[in-house]
Amino acid sequence: MGKTIDIIKEKRSVSEEVKGRIKSFNRLKKMILKSLETGGKTIPEIAKETNEETHVITYHLMTLIRYGSIVTGELDDNDEYYSYEFKQKQ
Amino acid sequence: MTEKKEYDVLVLGGGISGSESALNLAKQGFKVILVEKDLSLGGKMIHLSKVFPTLDCSACITTPKVSETARHPNIDIYTFSEVRDIEKLNSGDFQVTLVQKPRYVTEDCTGCQLCEDKCPVVVNDQYQWDLVGRKAIYVPFSIANPRIAAIDIENCSLCGACEKVCPANSIDFSQVEMQTPIVVKTVIIAIGFNLFDPTLIPRYGFGKYKNVVTSMQMERQLVPTRPFNNVLRPKDGKMPDNIAYVLCAGSRDETVGNPICSQVCCMYSTKQAQLLMGALPMADVTVYYLHIRAFGKGFCEFYQQAKGMGVEFIKGKIGLITEKENGNLLLRYEDIESGNIKEAEHDLVVL
Ligand SMILES: Cc1cc2nc3c(=O)[nH]c(=O)nc-3n(C[C@H](O)[C@H](O)[C@H](O)COP(=O)(O)OP(=O)(O)OC[C@H]3O[C@@H](n4cnc5c(N)ncnc54)[C@H](O)[C@@H]3O)c2cc1C
Ligand code: SF4
Ligand code: SF4
Repeated sequence: MGKTIDIIKEKRSVSEEVKGRIKSFNRLKKMILKSLETGGKTIPEIAKETNEETHVITYHLMTLIRYGSIVTGELDDNDEYYSYEFKQKQ
Repeated sequence: MTEKKEYDVLVLGGGISGSESALNLAKQGFKVILVEKDLSLGGKMIHLSKVFPTLDCSACITTPKVSETARHPNIDIYTFSEVRDIEKLNSGDFQVTLVQKPRYVTEDCTGCQLCEDKCPVVVNDQYQWDLVGRKAIYVPFSIANPRIAAIDIENCSLCGACEKVCPANSIDFSQVEMQTPIVVKTVIIAIGFNLFDPTLIPRYGFGKYKNVVTSMQMERQLVPTRPFNNVLRPKDGKMPDNIAYVLCAGSRDETVGNPICSQVCCMYSTKQAQLLMGALPMADVTVYYLHIRAFGKGFCEFYQQAKGMGVEFIKGKIGLITEKENGNLLLRYEDIESGNIKEAEHDLVVL
């Protein structure tokens, strides 16, 4: 198959919503990865450091795990929160 | 419109009912066309954890059934397709228009998922009931049949990255909707059911309180291909240890236009409670119910088994759910046995 993307580009344009989604995901990805540079952290710890809501961090962190940048670490002493860390550090 | 096709039977819906019907008819020699509107066969059942009352693995039952259906020479399958304009002819046959929507990925796709890594757009994954994100190009789920990627064109940024990376050259943005006239002798409607939208009962707080989840979201948390690394609270990733089930959520409720019993929520909640006791051995599970309808073979024993495992069953009607600052939920309910209004705190609520 040749390059077919140009065919659809003639028929459709990209919505502002889609552009916004890309920006928002990239922003959160950067913040989460930066927060993990100093070591494994739990979701509330990442949320506190990035000043984001915990559910937003949960969703984006789990998506990053799915696409391979982050892995799950240890469960804390109270059996409540896992820590999450960079893949290569495992 | 292309050339007219003829079949003995049209089966609408490729869930477990549609697949089973198509397969049984095909085995008797009938020519069947199976039309599924979703990207994969399997319906709801392919996404479940284990099934009551036997606790057999749901995917282990559904996947072989669906692949036998897909391979049968007497069955033609059209996924991501629908039918329009069913019309009865004088002969007694039905004339139908088959509509195939563009997937923008051809059958050469090997399901390697290299495109997903490159795609920059993240949207809610409908097959994980929105608990996690997926890309605009995506293989629907790991055991999808067919296991072919699709492009969610509404959310595509038209960057072309998938087309550049695809080793099978299977991206095809030139695809358009196709309409084909077909004639069938019989139509079987096996389109299943829709899940209740819990935002229709605002007092339960679904959508507002992130630790109020649906039973389908809990099913996904209990399967090996789950959205999180364990059963966790969507609000903050905490492992729950005091989970509540609210039965009849959206059933037997005139106020939401649904006066009848779903006939499944008592039993799947009892099942999930048992599975949670296994997944989170330290957790308490409480089921708030109006009546337990354990009506099938082995169902009552299954309910007794859950009680024996320590699941608490409270005959109570939930009036209101509110959230505490730590994400825990306060359930205000009428304790039907005593007639008193009570309040209980849980860290996760399943509707
Ligand atoms: C949370 C939960 C847990 C459950 N647990 C259990 C359990 O443990 N044990 C058990 O026995 N049962 C369980 N059930 C019930 C079980 O899921 C259903 O009985 C089963 O899925 C019904 O299969 P179906 O094929 O009739 O319908 P569905 O699974 O709904 O499939 C219908 C199919 O038709 C397709 N379709 C719809 N409209 C059209 C259209 N217009 N054209 C083409 N295709 C269409 C849909 O996309 C879908 O693929 C559970 C249900 C839920 C919600
Ligand atoms: S063209 Fe669309 S589907 Fe393909 S990578 Fe870009 S955004 Fe994703
Ligand atoms: S579309 Fe191409 S890159 Fe994507 S899963 Fe299929 S074969 Fe792999």
